[in-house]
Amino acid sequence: MRNVVFSALLALSFSTSLSHAQSAWTGADDLPTNPLACDATPATPAAADYDGGQPTNAPDRKGKTIKVVDVPKLVGIGYFNATSKGIADAAAEMGTMDAKTDGPSKANIDDQITLIDNYITSGVDGILFAANDPVAIAPVLKKALAAGINVVGYDANSTPDARQWFVNQAEFNGIAKAMVDSMAAEIGEDGAFAIVTSTFTTPNQARWIAEMQAYQAKCHPDMKWLETVEAQEDNILSFNQSNTLINKYGDELKGIFGMTSVATPAAADAVTQAGKCGSIAVVGLATPNAMKPYVASDCVKSVVLWNPVDLGYAAAYVLRAAADGTLTPGATSVSAGKLGDLSVINGSEILLGAPTIFTKDNINDFDF
Amino acid sequence: MALRSLIRHETFLALLLVIVLFVLSQQSDRFFTVGNLLNQGRLMTEVGLIAIAMTFVIATGGIDLSVGSILGLSAILTGVFWQNAGLPLPFAAAGAIAVGTLAGFANGVIITRFRVPPLIATLATLALYRGLAEGISQARSVRGYPEWFYLLGQRDVLGVPTQLWILILAAVVASIILAYTTWGRTVYAVGSNEVASRFSGLAVEKTKLALYTASGFAASVAAVIFVSRVSTTRSDMGSGIELDAITAVVLGGTSIFGGRGTIVGTMIGLCLIQALKNGLSLAGVKGDGTIMLIGAVLILAILASNLFERSGTRT
Amino acid sequence: MTAMVDLPPVRSRTGLQRQGFIRRLFSEYGQEIIVLSAILVLFVVVTLINPRFISANNLTTIFSGNAYIAVAAIGMAMIIVTGHIDVSVGALIGVLATISGTLAVAGYPIWFAWLAPVVVGMAINAVIGILVAYARIPSIVVTLGALSILRGGLISVTGGTWITDLPPDFLIAQKRLLGFPVPLLVMVALTVLAALWMRYTAFGRSLYAIGGNAEAALATGIPIARRTVAVFAIHGAFAGLATILFATQLQVIQSTVPPNLELTVITAAVIGGVSILGGTGTVIGSTLATILFATIGSALIFVNVSAYWLRAVIGLLILATVLADMLRRRGRG
Repeated sequence: MRNVVFSALLALSFSTSLSHAQSAWTGADDLPTNPLACDATPATPAAADYDGGQPTNAPDRKGKTIKVVDVPKLVGIGYFNATSKGIADAAAEMGTMDAKTDGPSKANIDDQITLIDNYITSGVDGILFAANDPVAIAPVLKKALAAGINVVGYDANSTPDARQWFVNQAEFNGIAKAMVDSMAAEIGEDGAFAIVTSTFTTPNQARWIAEMQAYQAKCHPDMKWLETVEAQEDNILSFNQSNTLINKYGDELKGIFGMTSVATPAAADAVTQAGKCGSIAVVGLATPNAMKPYVASDCVKSVVLWNPVDLGYAAAYVLRAAADGTLTPGATSVSAGKLGDLSVINGSEILLGAPTIFTKDNINDFDF
Repeated sequence: MALRSLIRHETFLALLLVIVLFVLSQQSDRFFTVGNLLNQGRLMTEVGLIAIAMTFVIATGGIDLSVGSILGLSAILTGVFWQNAGLPLPFAAAGAIAVGTLAGFANGVIITRFRVPPLIATLATLALYRGLAEGISQARSVRGYPEWFYLLGQRDVLGVPTQLWILILAAVVASIILAYTTWGRTVYAVGSNEVASRFSGLAVEKTKLALYTASGFAASVAAVIFVSRVSTTRSDMGSGIELDAITAVVLGGTSIFGGRGTIVGTMIGLCLIQALKNGLSLAGVKGDGTIMLIGAVLILAILASNLFERSGTRT
Repeated sequence: MTAMVDLPPVRSRTGLQRQGFIRRLFSEYGQEIIVLSAILVLFVVVTLINPRFISANNLTTIFSGNAYIAVAAIGMAMIIVTGHIDVSVGALIGVLATISGTLAVAGYPIWFAWLAPVVVGMAINAVIGILVAYARIPSIVVTLGALSILRGGLISVTGGTWITDLPPDFLIAQKRLLGFPVPLLVMVALTVLAALWMRYTAFGRSLYAIGGNAEAALATGIPIARRTVAVFAIHGAFAGLATILFATQLQVIQSTVPPNLELTVITAAVIGGVSILGGTGTVIGSTLATILFATIGSALIFVNVSAYWLRAVIGLLILATVLADMLRRRGRG
């Protein structure tokens, strides 16, 4: 018994000394950031050469019906249901694409790789993917390119040379600007905020946090960054973590960022149940359906997200264009059905557009 | 008697594997090709190495749930030793394997010296080792390994995936040890009756310590192969792999209560699972359907084997 | 009376002499006392660092927010005492939550939406129990299989669509009774009832006998197979009750399997002192262990442990608790 008390004390003192040694951890990655201008000046896209890969000896698929598999990070969450619906919509519209979605039941790099490997063997014409890890997925995607399969990513990128094109839902710095500006508008320039994310190893979330940090330092320097907590993709854990943040910081905490479509509604629920609606703002990435009750009760003012149905839809059109040979390296735009022309950025990425900010006025127009 | 029933389970399982291979090859003409089958060998090596060591551990009546975390820890250390500590990659990998082996040894010490039941001990170290991996990595990945390193995980030797050679070698060596050495018989004896083994002068504690150390070693070798296959390190690598390995082992006929089990059985179990995953996917079944079917096969295979065995002993 | 009443006590006593009350308490509930002490130490230390730690709100977060884990761990403790294990409980709770939420949204009476997970949980686990008891398949094999089937089935059926628009009356975990959050009351009540049941009823005590020595238990006339099925069904009922708390905590239900829940539940049961070899342990211990984990998780945020090292510290504390128990037992023996 003395041992456990001793080790508990030891562990605590060890950990507190650790925490004094470093500043608040943020969950950001260490890649370079590129914050946007503080006003609404759009970023000038830097011209870049095409850096994607090309399939080897791909057969002529122009106009022919192609078999496509969509492998998202995981199946069974609302977000990827929506992208999958967009792909199915586009396929139905084109009539020359036979698309199906199959993904791992956990966001696990190995399961995703195995699945893609199986589909290469089964002989598909095209692969759409959202990577759990940009580097880990690269070898199997290169194998697909080498087998003459058209490869297009969406939502979460791989290393550029492992796929032909990547449909970028919104640039990281664009999301960061939308999030931080929304938060600043709600809690003021000197408010303090905390972040609930999935895990620190999730590439997109780490990237957004890094860009948010850079943008906040540049444009809202007086806002106070309290800390970032992990909550997996678990809504009860997200709820408990948000509550702990509320309890820990008391009145100091003015806002919570939810970095995933799981964390944001859970954080909103924590604020609602704590009776702090109006005094703690919740801003986050989330799908509108899950957020409707909190937006309706005025507890959440703004939800940031692109339209994932459009994202899947655009990805399907880009794949079709790549297979037809109408989208080739050096192109500056691609036609994506009802979305019109989308522009090519960063060499081999296609930009869906600026993120949408859902508010009470428009959230009921969306159903995903 | 025990041996005969054991062979019966494996024969039954091998028969099942043949049937499954046949049925799946009817579903898709791309399934039963040399290229595809060799490729599946590449994908199952990490689980296979861990399952071989796990067979020994379970045959003594123990279990090791921390293997996935040891894999994660060794994977992270491979990258950190190489990039941050500046060691040449072979030394970095060897160092990571050494630490992983040490982690297994620590499990063994907790289990044998402090007499903590294996399930509890490795549940605790499952959290601890994964935590260390996360803490050391600071959520950073190490990438950009030299091209020669991918020979291990992404290239072939003599037309067969490199890591499959390692798996085959490990399986052969492990089968010989378990079946033909006194040490192997000690494993079964400890699993059948630990107290009696101790009284009859067998080195129970030493055997167990060696097995958990070997389990850590297998997990960290798997880690290096995994890093080479996916060309990056992440602290969440290998999470959940313990359940995959245990599934292969028990499907292969190793008794979870100890005293029974063979490497051949484990390998057949492993191949059966991999064949189902791959073949069903090629036949157009989605991932969620596949995992349901694997669950059902696991229960039904052990059920059928139990029924045969009992009808056998009664006559 | 019969042999059943004279079954071995919860933990074997060391000496034949009468021991003092304190000593006996420590000898019988050693692990529970260790876990409780660890909780108290954590509370004292962290409160000294940041007094907000023992604010009513934070106590609610710690106790109420994790009550569903404690309730699930009660059933798990019974399973493990009997010498079995269940790795499918997390997937089961995911499935039951989806069933319960779907019924509530479809307009069935609230009581029906609450009753359904309990009944379905009992039914599913009774099947598992039958496979374990009568088909003699080891529980880890059956539940590994069940884990795959439940997880795959849930995704196949729901496709992961969230359940929203839950009726407000359904959300019992958000309510308060006599000023206390309902999950806390449920957790305490179920723990006390289960502890009394396991210690003072013939059925409850027979679980220890089955886990301790199945052959001896059979010899004393305990119907082992029937009891095994029954204890799995009871475990299913606790999983159902845990589901009600789990599913009603938020206004939405995420119809997927909660990640690593089975591991958390098993860890709570075994760290709480339930011997994996069967035969010893109490549900008081498993509930205390759940509270310990929740306290650690919250404490580490309060004392600013780098989130990167959080899991390592949790692992270290778990290991320390386990080793302390082993040293205590050895010192006694």
